[in-house]
Amino acid sequence: MIKIQSKVIKTIILAIIGIIIVGIVPFKTSSITILSTVLIYGIAAMGYNVLLGYAGQISLGHAAFIGLGAYVSAYATDVMGIPFLGAVLLSGIVPIILGLILGGVALRLEGHYLAIATLGFGVTVQQLFKVLKNFTNGFAGRIAPSAYIFGIKIKGVGYLVMLIIITTFLAIAIENILNTKTGRAFVAMRDSEHAAKAMGIDIVKYKLIAFSISAFYAGIAGSLYMHLVKYTQPDVWGTVLSINILAMVVIGGLTSVGGSILGAAFIVLMPHLVAGIPYVNTIPSASIIVTGIVIVIIIRFMPMGLITFLNRFKRRVTNVRS
Amino acid sequence: MTIFLQNIISGLETGALYALAALGLVLIFRTSDVINFAQGDIAMFSTFFGYRVFEKYMSYPFAVILALLFAVGLGYILERLFLRKALKLGIINKIIITMGMLMVIQGLTVIFFGTEDYYLRKAIEMDNFNIAGVIIQPNALFIIFLTLGIVIIFNYLLKKTKFGIAIRTTAEDEETARLMGIPVGKVYSRSWMIATALGALAGILVAPKTQVSISMMLDIHLKSFIAAVVGGFSSFFGPVAGGFLIGVADNLVGYYWSLDWKTAIVYGILLITLIIKPAGIFGKVVRKKV
Repeated sequence: MIKIQSKVIKTIILAIIGIIIVGIVPFKTSSITILSTVLIYGIAAMGYNVLLGYAGQISLGHAAFIGLGAYVSAYATDVMGIPFLGAVLLSGIVPIILGLILGGVALRLEGHYLAIATLGFGVTVQQLFKVLKNFTNGFAGRIAPSAYIFGIKIKGVGYLVMLIIITTFLAIAIENILNTKTGRAFVAMRDSEHAAKAMGIDIVKYKLIAFSISAFYAGIAGSLYMHLVKYTQPDVWGTVLSINILAMVVIGGLTSVGGSILGAAFIVLMPHLVAGIPYVNTIPSASIIVTGIVIVIIIRFMPMGLITFLNRFKRRVTNVRS
Repeated sequence: MTIFLQNIISGLETGALYALAALGLVLIFRTSDVINFAQGDIAMFSTFFGYRVFEKYMSYPFAVILALLFAVGLGYILERLFLRKALKLGIINKIIITMGMLMVIQGLTVIFFGTEDYYLRKAIEMDNFNIAGVIIQPNALFIIFLTLGIVIIFNYLLKKTKFGIAIRTTAEDEETARLMGIPVGKVYSRSWMIATALGALAGILVAPKTQVSISMMLDIHLKSFIAAVVGGFSSFFGPVAGGFLIGVADNLVGYYWSLDWKTAIVYGILLITLIIKPAGIFGKVVRKKV
């Protein structure tokens, strides 16, 4: 119990430090947008981590949930006139329906078959975004208004601070879920489905719960993305995004909530960092090449993810000190 | 009836390309346990190379052969450089490595070949036949029969030659293959070489339709995954059948049902197939022990 509480407090302290930094340092508007994107993908990656890292179910169609969240949020605020916070919640809940469908498929499949089936699922949903013009407005795209909370317009630094608070809240929520019976059931299921079944764990129930949680987080992320960028069209929600989310989770570190956010930061920031290197940035596609190479190197030499590497490094430093 | 036949033939044509790409995909997957997301882009890169050669120096057949050789070399280099040392990693990590590979290849394409689209000629440029109202393009026939020929030869080699047996053994169980004295490393690099060549061939054949461009293999690449799953990963014949099936289904649904909903319907069929037969239509279910 002490461990859980200390983790919660640690997370909250980190968040407060983050908010103070954001408040003091005069970031450029573009940097604020990039940092906001990091947190948004971090939220999606956290949810995905529950699915992949803890419950051991792969999904290569996760962009579908994020996209659905974005569209629901846009539709709810722009067309139906639901206030921002309500729309965020709604766009978390609606993707759960989709998550249950995918979870139903996952009941029958595993391993690479599940991978490809979810890939197909992602492509199908993206196709539906193109076809369902009443809902998504097709290729013309949908716009969303700015976020208002109790009549106050949230934008720029304010939006980033709001994202930090939401991310912290969601991270603590996940830590708590994973420390309950549900979390332990996920881990048992991941390690051996048959053994878990023999221990009396209801596989059907927990698989569906895992898919629902990750769909919920992805939907929330989509909604927050929508009100940050304020415009979306179907091409955004393709396989590339799905695999990016997967990469964030694995590079950051499976079974680590902090790792997911670290991974998201890595994937989002890397191209921008490379673009800042002199000489290299004169090559037109340097950022994508360098990012690709760094991804390969990280997976190759730190297969457990950045967070494990960091922790080991931290331990070594403390050992030297004592 | 003629329209129906027309649709079947053009379905078989695209299906043949899916089949070629799917065969490469399954070959890599079976031998080295890698789901290769870069397969399409490797093919795209090789096609660009072939186009450049064709445009500047040589006749079409030579350009095609050079592009295939280029793909073989590329397959060898990529496998040695990116994946050989990562053999022990899990399947998800390997997926991400191929994704990193994909980014590098896309970046290199922009550097070497730019971002423009180019037109590459068809393999066979002859007048169309007209058999009882059904218009048949010689190029389509060529693609279908070439694919069938390759698949038959491939399966024959797989059954009869020493190297084919080595591939099948490695696909079955890598550790046993090692113990039997099979040079597993060679099997890996050769299956990558064959697979990238198959992909490049699909790329060159589809180029007249899609133009030579960065996104040219997107559709084939995705469909080849679907074909592999529908046909089943466990045989080398399944994915080819799956490819043809997807190609024909795509065309028929697109014509008789709805063009907009085509993709959604075909994937819907895929999901239902998988729910009924999780190991694919021609796949064997492997029971896992605890």
